[in-house]
Amino acid sequence: MAGGGSLGEGREKTKRGKPSKRKKKKRVGFHLDMTPLVDIAFLLLTFFMFTTTMTQPQVMEMLVPPEIDKEVKVKISELYTLRLRADGKLFYHLAEDAPQLMELKNLKRMAFEENLKQKNRLITVLKIDDGAPYEMVIKILDELNLAEGDLVPELSKLKMTRERRFTIAPMTDKDIEEIKSL
Amino acid sequence: MAKVKMKRTGFVLDMTPLVDIAFLLLTFFMFTAKFKSEAESEQKFQIKRPKASADTAKLPDKNLAIIKIAIDSITPNDTSYYYEMSNEKDRSIVYATAPGLDDAQRKKMQIKASLTTLDGLIRETRITNLNTKFAIDADKRVRFKWVSDCMEVMRKNRATAFNLVTDKKQGM
Repeated sequence: MAGGGSLGEGREKTKRGKPSKRKKKKRVGFHLDMTPLVDIAFLLLTFFMFTTTMTQPQVMEMLVPPEIDKEVKVKISELYTLRLRADGKLFYHLAEDAPQLMELKNLKRMAFEENLKQKNRLITVLKIDDGAPYEMVIKILDELNLAEGDLVPELSKLKMTRERRFTIAPMTDKDIEEIKSL
Repeated sequence: MAKVKMKRTGFVLDMTPLVDIAFLLLTFFMFTAKFKSEAESEQKFQIKRPKASADTAKLPDKNLAIIKIAIDSITPNDTSYYYEMSNEKDRSIVYATAPGLDDAQRKKMQIKASLTTLDGLIRETRITNLNTKFAIDADKRVRFKWVSDCMEVMRKNRATAFNLVTDKKQGM
């Protein structure tokens, strides 16, 4: 048959140069028709290949402060406020400066620089309009997280451990008014 | 010299390596395959998740409660909350005790909830199992109000640590 028997014979005599101790057995070549097996195997293989999704959802961790009516006093000079308008435009200001428009792609660099200047003292406040698209919110949070990734090694050079100070605050009418005409 | 015409005999192809590889792949895909949960097979909508690149954490499997904020595929302006839990034992307790649900809803795996029923569901979940992790799985097109309202409800129930479900951004 298909060489099944004859294949082993030559090998048995010399195994890595040495004569084999195994008793020489005459093999009767036997043939198995594997076609149905292969058919089924490929059927299942294609099924599992098409049904699996490789991308698993990821998560972004969030912490919100519990409901305690305790006043937390902060210095206004340490506040870095970001405001997201309903149309998806982002505004920022430091302390009590006038709000300025910011491109999303600059956010990472800005957050990084401002945080480095104030060395752990800076509190990032994010105020989001109710009408803003959720996608933008995630993008902003993502940029801030990316900045965080740069900050940690930079601060550890200065022998400091990064303590993140970040909060999502409600957008007040005053906030909306301030950035309305910009 | 005239060629001797050979009579063709049926040829045999050694399929062994092919079968080896096929089975190897088959077992790989079989073990990695993760099927939709019962709750997910019930849902009629699909969530378009926002993409993020900074986080690498994966969604926990055990004791997870997901609040889905989805835009219904049939009527695009209809946004709703959907609540589902991965722990079956907890789920049966929570769904049976949460206020404001009718009998048809209690039997389901995934509950379409309003903000008030969501409040009850989260509270019951917290009472039943304090280790339950919460996650918000929101469609990227929804207004932030839906998410902030949901976060407020969770805060009221002292579920202050939760996850926002995102997809991995490609090519980063």
